[in-house]
Amino acid sequence: MKLELKKISKFFPGIKALQKVDFKLKDNSIHALLGENGAGKSTLVKILCGVYQPDEGKIFLNNIEHNITNPLESLSLGISAIHQESVMFDELSVTENIFIGNHITKPNNLVDWQQMERKTKELLGNLEADIRPNEKIKDLSIAQRHIVQISRSLIHDADIVIMDEPTASLSQKEIDELYSIIRNLKKQNKSIIFISHKLDEIMEVCDEFTVLRDGEFINTDLITNTNKDKLVTYMVGREIDQIFPKKQVKIEQEIFNVKNLYKKTQFKNINFNLRKKEILGFYGLVGSGRTEIMKTIFGINKYDEGEVFFKGKKLKIRKPNDAIQNGIVYLSEERQNLGMTGLMSVKDNINMAVMDKNSDYLIINQLKEIRNAEELQDKLNIKVSYWSQLAQSLSGGNQQKTVIAKWLSTKPEILILDEPTKGIDVKSKSAVHEFMGELVDTGMSIIMISSELTEILGMCDRVVVMYKGLVKNILDVSNTTSEEIVKLASGE
Amino acid sequence: MIKKIITSRDFILFAIIVFGVVVVGIANPFFVKPSSLSDVLTDTSILIILALSQMLVILIRAIDLSVASNLALSGMLISLLSTIYPELPVIFFILLSCSIGTFLGVLNGVSIAILKVPFIVTTLGTLSIYRGLIYFVSDGKQVYSSEFSEDFLALIHYKFLSLSFLFWIAVAVFILMYILLNHTRFGRNLYSLGGNPDAAKYIGINENKYIILAYSLSGFFAGLCGYLWVARYSVASTQIAIGFELTVISACVVGGISVMGGVGTVIGCTLGALLIGFIRNALPAVDISQFWQLAISGAIILIAIIINTKTEQRKEKTIMVE
Amino acid sequence: MMKNLIPDNPPFKLINILYKKEFILFMVFLSIIIINSNISPYFLDLYNLIDSTFLFSEKAIIALSMTFVIIARQIDLSVASIIAVSSCVLGYTTSVGFDTYLVISFTLLSGILCGAFNGLIITRFAIPSIIVTIGTMSLFRGLAYSFLEDQYYNKFPKFVVSLGSDYLFGYIPYAFLTFIIMSLIFAFILHRTIIGKRIYSIGNNPDSAQYTGIDVDRYTFILFTLNGLFSAVAAIFLSGRLSSVRPNIAFGWELEIITMVVLGGVYIYGGSGSILGVVISIFILGMLSFGLGLLNVPGVGIIIFTGLLLILSIGFPSFVKYFRSKNE
Repeated sequence: MKLELKKISKFFPGIKALQKVDFKLKDNSIHALLGENGAGKSTLVKILCGVYQPDEGKIFLNNIEHNITNPLESLSLGISAIHQESVMFDELSVTENIFIGNHITKPNNLVDWQQMERKTKELLGNLEADIRPNEKIKDLSIAQRHIVQISRSLIHDADIVIMDEPTASLSQKEIDELYSIIRNLKKQNKSIIFISHKLDEIMEVCDEFTVLRDGEFINTDLITNTNKDKLVTYMVGREIDQIFPKKQVKIEQEIFNVKNLYKKTQFKNINFNLRKKEILGFYGLVGSGRTEIMKTIFGINKYDEGEVFFKGKKLKIRKPNDAIQNGIVYLSEERQNLGMTGLMSVKDNINMAVMDKNSDYLIINQLKEIRNAEELQDKLNIKVSYWSQLAQSLSGGNQQKTVIAKWLSTKPEILILDEPTKGIDVKSKSAVHEFMGELVDTGMSIIMISSELTEILGMCDRVVVMYKGLVKNILDVSNTTSEEIVKLASGE
Repeated sequence: MIKKIITSRDFILFAIIVFGVVVVGIANPFFVKPSSLSDVLTDTSILIILALSQMLVILIRAIDLSVASNLALSGMLISLLSTIYPELPVIFFILLSCSIGTFLGVLNGVSIAILKVPFIVTTLGTLSIYRGLIYFVSDGKQVYSSEFSEDFLALIHYKFLSLSFLFWIAVAVFILMYILLNHTRFGRNLYSLGGNPDAAKYIGINENKYIILAYSLSGFFAGLCGYLWVARYSVASTQIAIGFELTVISACVVGGISVMGGVGTVIGCTLGALLIGFIRNALPAVDISQFWQLAISGAIILIAIIINTKTEQRKEKTIMVE
Repeated sequence: MMKNLIPDNPPFKLINILYKKEFILFMVFLSIIIINSNISPYFLDLYNLIDSTFLFSEKAIIALSMTFVIIARQIDLSVASIIAVSSCVLGYTTSVGFDTYLVISFTLLSGILCGAFNGLIITRFAIPSIIVTIGTMSLFRGLAYSFLEDQYYNKFPKFVVSLGSDYLFGYIPYAFLTFIIMSLIFAFILHRTIIGKRIYSIGNNPDSAQYTGIDVDRYTFILFTLNGLFSAVAAIFLSGRLSSVRPNIAFGWELEIITMVVLGGVYIYGGSGSILGVVISIFILGMLSFGLGLLNVPGVGIIIFTGLLLILSIGFPSFVKYFRSKNE
C-alpha cells in the first residue's frame, strides 16, 4: 500500500471538516477523490501537503507511520500536489519554477544554474513538451503551466502526485495530452490522486475512487465496479433524476444584436443575436475570446469597431454602468474576486448595484434597501441570520446567491453568465440550471459561456462556437451533434 | 539575442546615463574629467548601497521608509561614542554601527512579521521614532569634525586606483548583492516570495523569517552607511540624511524594481542609483540652482514609474491572428 | 403564513459596545484628560484648552479628507507638500496685490490642481498611490523651493491672518470651527449617503466595485482632488497663523495626518473605519501633545511617543494573540 490514512479527523471552529476518514492509495493507481464542494476533499489534500495537521488519525506511507507537519516535509516524503494555476511564479523562468524551494546547489552553496537547466531540458523532453527552460511562466498557456507543475513533482521524485481539477480550463486536445502524461506517470510506478467534478473523465482515466460527503467517508471501490449514476448517488446522498432540467419556454422576438464587433488582437467579425427568453451558449476553448467579448459588451474593455443594438436601438457602452442601466449584466467567472464584497453586509451586497434607486438625493433610504433585500432573499432563499451579517461569513452557496441577488435587483433583461457552474458540485449545479430555466420563463434572456459540452447541449437553445477570436458558426442545439461542435471549436 | 539585450531596460538605462554624461560633458567639459567623474561615483556610493539593500525589501512587496533615520541614528551613536573613546580602532565603530543598524532593522521586521503592523505604518512610525531618538541621545547638539579622531576619518580618504574607499565599498556591496540575489537560495526565495506569497507558503518558504531577514539586512546596510556618511562629511547632527529614504526609493523605482514585488535586477537597481547620482551632480555643472534639485528628482521618479508601468503592464494575450 | 422576518442586527449585547474601536479610543481619550489634569493644574483651563486646538486643527482638516482616501484603499503622502505650494501661491498672489477673494481662489485652485495631478497619474497609469505621492511629495515641495529659494513671505491679506488667529465670538478659533463643521459633513457623507457606501465598497474590493458599475477611477480622482483642496484650506489657516511662509512649511505633516487617521481605527489597506473614530483620535493626539507640552517635554518626545502609539495601537491585538498561541 503506497498511502494509507486511518481515521483522519480535522475540526475547525464550528465545523467538522473531516470525521474519521479512511483512504487507501495502491501502487500504480490513478485514484479519483470525489465529493461535493465542502465534502472535505481539499482539507484532505491540505493535510497530505502538510498545510493542515489532522486532529486525529494516522498517516502511513509505504506502511510506515509519518507526521507531516509542514509543506517541505510533505515534499520530501514524495508527495507533490498540482494545484490550479495560482501556485506558479509568473515572473520566474520555467527552470526556476520547477526547482523552486529546492534549488540545486554547488558544493560552495551557490545555486547551480547549469545543472538545473540541463535537468529541466531532460524532463521536458521526456514529457515531449515544447517549452523552453528560460521562458517566463507568464508567457505560457495554462496547459503548459500544468506540465511545468508536473515536472516540478517529478524533480522532487514524487511517489504520489495529487492533481486538483487539472483539466478544469484545458481544451480537449490539451486534456488528451494530459491524460497520456498521467498514464505515463503511472507506468513509472507513481500513484495519482485525481480530483475532478467531471464524471466522464473520471470514468475514462481512473482506476479506483473514494467518495466523501460532509466530511465523512462514504465508499471506495474500483471504477470498473461502478457507473456515473452510482457515483452521483454516493456524492449527493440521493438520486438526481435529471442533471439538466431544462424548462421549455416559447422563444420570442429578437432583443439584442451584435454587429461586426472588432477588437485588435482579441476578436473580429463578431455577429450574433439574442432573442427574448432564449439561452444562448458560447462554446470554445479557454482563451478563444469568449470572456473578452462579454467583458467588452459589458463595458469593462473598449472595442475598436462594431455596433451593439438593444431592442433595435444602438447602444453606446463605455463603462459597466451604461450596460447595467440598459438591463445588461455580467456575472464573472471569478465570483469571489469580482462578484462579492466580503467585508460588507449581505444587505449592502444585495443593494450594491441599485444604490441610486434606493436613495433620495444621494441619501440612503434604509426602508427601500431592506425591502429590496427582503424581496430577493425570499425569492432566492438566501440563508442569512441578520442583515448586517458580513457577506463573507455566509456559506459558499449563499454567497453565490447573494451575487445573483445583487444582479437581479437591477431587474436585468439580459444576463451574461460566465462559466456559472465551473467547479461547483452536482447538487448546486443542478440548482443553478433549474434557476436559469425559471429566469427565462419570466422573460429574461441569458448568454451562457461554458466549457462543458453536456451543459451547453442540455441548457441552450442555440450555441455560438468560437475559435481563436472568431465565430466559427452558430448552431441550433436541437439540430447538431457534440462531434460537430467539438470539431468547430478546435478549428477544423 | 542582441536585440533582446538592446531592448532590455538595464541597457536603456545605461545608454541614458552615457548619453547624459556626454551631453553634460559638451556643455561643461570640466564635468567629464576623470577626477570629476570619480567624485560623482564617490558621491553616489552611499545611494548605491542603500538602494541595493532597499531592493531586498521592495522585492518582497514592502518598503523601508526608516533607512535614513536608521542611518542617522547609528551614525550619531558611534560619533558620540568616538568622542568619548577616541582610542578605539575604527573597525570597532564600523561593526558597532552595523550592529545598531541591524538591531533597528530587526525591530521593523518583528513589528511587521509578528505584530502584523502593515509595513507603511511600521516604517513611517520608526522613521519618526529613530529620528526623534537622535535628539534624545545628542540633546540636539552636533558632533563636529574636530571632535572625531583622525583614525575615525582616515579610512574614508584612502584611495585605490585613484578611486575612493567609498566607491570600493559600493563595488563590494554590489558584488555581494549580485551573488546573494542570483546565486543563493535565500535570494531566489526572496524573488518567489515577492512574486507570489501564497504559493511561496506551499513550497515551505517561511514568510516571517524572510521579512525579518530582509529588514535586518536593510538595517545592517543603513548602519554601515551611518558610519560612511558621518566619516565622509565629518559631521553628525540630528538633520543628516533627512528625507534621503525618498531618494533611495526613487533610485530603486528608476532602476526597475517593481513595487508589486518579485521583479528587478541588481544591475538595474545600481544603474538607477547611478542615474540619480549623476543628475544630482550634473545640475550644478550646467548651472541649475540647487533649489531645483528636489523638484527635478520628483519629476524623474514620476517619469520613471510611468515608463515602468507602461512596459510592465501585461499586454493582453493575443487571441486572434489577423 | 407569517413570513420569517430577518432582523437588521444581531441581538443587542452591552459587551459588544466594549469591543468597538470608537469606545476604546474614547476611554483612552478620557484617561488622557484625567491624567493630564491631575499632573498639571493649567490643563483644564478653558483658555488653554481653546488655544491648544491651534496645534491640531489644520492637520485635522486634512485628516478628514485623508480618511476618505485611505478608506478607498489609497494613500496620499503629498499633502504637506501641497500645503507648501498653496502657501507660496497665497504669499505670491498677495505680494502682487490681488484682491483677497482672488488670493483665496488662487490658493484653493493650486491645491485642487495638485490633488487632481495626483489623481490623474494614479488613475490614468494605474500606479499605486504610495509611489505616485512619494514622487509628487518631492515634486511639489521642490516647486516651492525652486520658487521661493531662500526667501519667505510674511505679508498676507488681513482676512487670512484673522482666519488663522482669531476666534468666533471671542471663543472658538476659526480653524477649529471649520474642523468641527467639516467633520459633521464628512460623517454624514461617509455614513449616510451612497457616496460613502461606494467609497467603502471600492476600498473593500475595487475590482468587484468596478464590475458592479461603480466608476472607481472617477471616485479615486475626485478623492485626491478633494485632498488637494483641503490641503489648500489648511494652508490658508496655517499661513495666517504663522504669518510667515518658507518652503519647508508643514514639513513631515503627512506622517502626523496619517497617524491621526490610522490611530482612529481606519484600516490602512482600506474598506473600514469611521469619522467618529478619527475625530476622537485627533483629540487624543491633540490633548496628548498639549499635555506633554505643559510638562515641558520637547517636541521630539511627542514625535517618539506618537510613533510608538501608532505602532502599538495596531500591533497590540496581534501581540496578544501571538503570546496566547505561544503559551498554549
